Amino acid sequence: MVAYLTGLCAAVLASLLGLVLPPRWRVRGSGILSATACVFSMASAGEVLASGNSYSLHTSLLLPFTGADLALDPLSALFIATTAVVGFSVSLYTIAYAAHTPNNRALVATQPAFLATLLLVPAASSVATFMIAWELMALTSLIALLTEHRERPETRDAAQWYAAMTHAGAAFILLGLILLAARTGEQSFASIAASRPLLSMPIASAVFVLTFIGFASKAGAVPLHVWLPRAHPEAPSPISALMSGAMVSLGIYGILRVDETLLGGGKLWWWLLVVAMGVASALFGALHSSASADLKRLLAYSTVDNIGLVLIGVGAAGALLANGQRILASLALLAALYQLVNHSLFKGTLFLGAGAVQHATGTRDLDQLGGLAARMPLTTTLFAVAALAICAVPGLNGFASEWLLLQGLLHGFAAHPAVTQAAMLTGVAALALTGGLTATAFVKAIGTGFLGQPRTGAAESAREVAPSMVAGMAVLALGCVVLGILPGLVVPALDRAASAGLAGGAPNSLASGLGLDLTSLKSAIEPGQLAAGLLAVVTVAWGGLKLAQKRAGFYRPRRTEAWGCGRELQTPRMEITATSFAEPLQRVFADVLRPNHDLEVTHIAESQYFVEAITFHRSVDDAIERVAYRPVISAMSWWGRLARRVPNGSVHRYLAFGFVALVLVLAALT
Amino acid sequence: MTGANAMLAAATPLLWVRIFASALQVVAVAVGGPLLLGLMGKVRARAESRIGPPITQGLADLRKLVRKEAIRAEHTSAVASLAPLVLLGSAVVASAVTPLLTTSTIITGGGDLFVVVYLLLMGSVALALGGLDAGTAFGGMGSSRAMTIGAISEPALLVAILAMAVQAKTSSLPGIVAGTLAHPAWLTSPQWILALAALAIVVIAETGRIPVDNPSTHLELTMIREAMMLEYAGPDLSMVTAGEAMRFALLLGLLVNLFFPWGVDTSRSVAALLIALVALAAKTALLAIVIALIEVSTAKLRLFRIPELLAGGFVLAVMAVTAGLVIK
Amino acid sequence: MTLGFSLDLVELASGIVLATAVLTLWRKDLRALISALRIQGIALAAVAAALAFYIGDAGIGFVAVVVFAVKGLVIPSLLARVVRTDPGSREADPLINVPASLVVASGLIVLSFLVAGQFTGLLSDPVTRLAPLGLATVLIGFFLLVTRRKAISQIVGLLLVDNGVALVAFVLTAGVPLLVELGVSLDVLLAVVVLQVLVAAMRVRFGHLDLDQLRELHD
Repeated sequence: MVAYLTGLCAAVLASLLGLVLPPRWRVRGSGILSATACVFSMASAGEVLASGNSYSLHTSLLLPFTGADLALDPLSALFIATTAVVGFSVSLYTIAYAAHTPNNRALVATQPAFLATLLLVPAASSVATFMIAWELMALTSLIALLTEHRERPETRDAAQWYAAMTHAGAAFILLGLILLAARTGEQSFASIAASRPLLSMPIASAVFVLTFIGFASKAGAVPLHVWLPRAHPEAPSPISALMSGAMVSLGIYGILRVDETLLGGGKLWWWLLVVAMGVASALFGALHSSASADLKRLLAYSTVDNIGLVLIGVGAAGALLANGQRILASLALLAALYQLVNHSLFKGTLFLGAGAVQHATGTRDLDQLGGLAARMPLTTTLFAVAALAICAVPGLNGFASEWLLLQGLLHGFAAHPAVTQAAMLTGVAALALTGGLTATAFVKAIGTGFLGQPRTGAAESAREVAPSMVAGMAVLALGCVVLGILPGLVVPALDRAASAGLAGGAPNSLASGLGLDLTSLKSAIEPGQLAAGLLAVVTVAWGGLKLAQKRAGFYRPRRTEAWGCGRELQTPRMEITATSFAEPLQRVFADVLRPNHDLEVTHIAESQYFVEAITFHRSVDDAIERVAYRPVISAMSWWGRLARRVPNGSVHRYLAFGFVALVLVLAALT
Repeated sequence: MTGANAMLAAATPLLWVRIFASALQVVAVAVGGPLLLGLMGKVRARAESRIGPPITQGLADLRKLVRKEAIRAEHTSAVASLAPLVLLGSAVVASAVTPLLTTSTIITGGGDLFVVVYLLLMGSVALALGGLDAGTAFGGMGSSRAMTIGAISEPALLVAILAMAVQAKTSSLPGIVAGTLAHPAWLTSPQWILALAALAIVVIAETGRIPVDNPSTHLELTMIREAMMLEYAGPDLSMVTAGEAMRFALLLGLLVNLFFPWGVDTSRSVAALLIALVALAAKTALLAIVIALIEVSTAKLRLFRIPELLAGGFVLAVMAVTAGLVIK
Repeated sequence: MTLGFSLDLVELASGIVLATAVLTLWRKDLRALISALRIQGIALAAVAAALAFYIGDAGIGFVAVVVFAVKGLVIPSLLARVVRTDPGSREADPLINVPASLVVASGLIVLSFLVAGQFTGLLSDPVTRLAPLGLATVLIGFFLLVTRRKAISQIVGLLLVDNGVALVAFVLTAGVPLLVELGVSLDVLLAVVVLQVLVAAMRVRFGHLDLDQLRELHD
């Protein structure tokens, strides 16, 4: 706990340093301090995860009336640890990233502040503390999002969306928590959980719906995701990595903390709702990420998709618990948490990698990139490791968690009500399609962004980024490899977190490693063995062929021109672009994606039979945003225009407002 | 707990026996793949009143390619040299862990059906990245199409596996095979038949056979899998061809063993392994001949009709799962 | 033939009824639709026959014969004759495309399973467990009616609904009273004959069978 508090203070101090230090010292001083803060938090959270102990702290100093409550249990420690790992790499990365940015004070000061709030939220253990921490997180992230608004005006639009969605979400959470606190008469989480029997089911369901809406909007679940594909791409890349790798996860934390442990599991339909939203998010996110040609937008939608997978796991766990299947519930939740941790690792790497690309080329449009593998070999390698991990390639962490999730759903079939079984079936189908689409999206990202030949001068002249940026990415990418080969390292910790995340706790049933040994669960894999086998085969095949080549008298592979369909010259213009790569998929899923086509034919002045130019434009915008949000926004702006007519500058009219209001109030009082 | 699974858990044979069995499987798949493709070519040729190349042509081609000089396209990165290795490696590991000849393979606890799926996915991703590496038009087009088809075939594949795993109460392949050996009645149950029909459709799509893709075409606009391999030559091409042939043989072997497991060794004696080898060869050869005869008489589907086929596979798989819940 | 085998046969034949229903959504060729319908009729008859043996009721055996004659032979042949006059006709452009229809169909199958799950009593007896298959056939038939344009497809949809109802009736009541089934079968036969006459008349007058284009008649 002391280490945790030290870390928290260090992060706040780092933010202050970033604010006051002169430019020469600012970046390095703040960055190193913020990385240290992460090490301290990591140590504290790691101790809780390893031992399963819980700590709590109450102080009447910081908040008036209620005082602040902080507590660490394995569930919150898991989120703190993940945030700390992502925060550590982001802090390293920011050192070089900010050094090359003019006016870097805002970024350098807000990044540690944002990090501090991210570390604070999971530890908050009373309604007041939690809401304050939550609002601080919303505020710091909003400022962090806006730090580059001078360079890109689109940032302001994104920030408006983000602010609106995040505050609406916070309002829902606040309503839910107030209702909960009022009905139980308690405000610390521990006493609320203890006085849970006071809650009637309708009230509990109301609390669930309110808080779930709020948390799901923070997690970016469809249809509350609209802010995410705007805010993630427009934020500076270290902030995107923190948002996607840590902040979004806290939405899931909220669902687990409030809806599962405080409300005690509740009804089956709650969790079926969670699964349904997970399925929608997974499919919608994966489809859009495979249709996107903007690298960071692709990653943002992929976040929506991964959160969907986590929600499927969380919902399955809740549904199984509601059916009384405690062991299976803890398996499903373990899988969901594993997926969430992995998501933080690979999505963190990917956003930092996208930032490196943007830094080196000035663009994040995949159609303008290409050929970066030869120019930025380290970034390419680290990006590719994370991308393959997210595609669930065996030997990397995404595979381990996706396999576990599949096992959780498969064994969830043992639970009886037919609705649960249907939910599991839908979950498996969604997981499968999502997996395939994710692979498509990331093959596209690597293949068109990093391989082949550069399509523009900007990509042509790209250079490898500074060492500290590479180090930031490397830490997270290493995590992807380690958690992929040795899942046994984290599974016990995840198991503790999962039992802390289920109402009433769950038996610690899982032995270390993925040698799962549950009653009725006999499947087992050894990812380490698979990876070792693969490596052995690849090495032997490579060595054998080298030997055969040497014996035949060939020493190096000869380089020749690629086959250009009979043309002499192979130019980058012939390469497939990200947009055309996604075209078949867009056609297959045209009913969901609804791409906009725009074909303009310009004829030459003399005759309409000869064409001067044809422009074809196609874009895929968010169908949910168009259908569900645009009408609301236009209604609101119509209302705003209407209201603007009322104040016309006449002092008499303003005074009349006050008079009428006074009369009305008095009339109402009588 | 079913009797078969208890039996499986009771006796885990020695490590070296399992290593030997796995090695034998890899060799069988590596040699059998090109032979199966050769056999299919022969059957097709005969059906079209041609003589066709000998069945061993594939092996001869591989031998020739290995000895050639390695040539790579300019502008390619390390991916071009890694992709063939990874494709081959994933196929080798997958054939080592799948119970083709024996239910006790090298990995403790045996191969898992999902693991095999993801290993094959790994090969597909490697091949698709390799297709994009040279920066040519056709390579990219092939990758795009192959990934699209792969993505939409995934739901049918995993749901079909779910149907079988729910029946066998495990997704571990040896468990499933041992289960079917102990309960032959499963094989005629509707859910098993439906799941296999769905799997068969996916296997056709994944291996790029007619009606999804035509492996013998190099017609530029219709290629899918071949387009990704255009830039490979010499040893690289040999690895890609061998990897593809192994994937084909592996999937075929998996399919026949899921539908007709007899012959698979559960006693772990050398004689039983040899019998299993003969049985596997006979079973897959029969299936390959059937596929070849179907291929002769059907036309390739247009690219945008393929989703219909795969959606059909998906319905079959969903029906399989529901049938499993309805019929006990 | 043992009891166990006859139960297996009931299950298998019911499965075929549903599978052929899915096939009608899958294929665009109208001849394939008719073949699917024919197989479905025969499978339905097989369900009845196997049930007759399973329960040991000769009356259901008679129903099986009638079902085979009407749904397996007469109706498909009548429809096939209509299609033969217009060879190569296809359901070219359904209102909902084939992949989406198939995904909807899988949703409908799961839905009918869920609905049956509500009546837990249904899931206890080995034969009544099969009711969801019939229900799914009914739903798919309705879906075909709603989304297809050709008159023949719509007739097929109608017949699917009828076959589905018959399957549900067979497995739930272990054989509908003889008279009811006979009456219904003959009704449907009559309806098909009327529709066939209508279709022929439509072709003579308008030269095509596309119902969407008939909307002009409304005005």
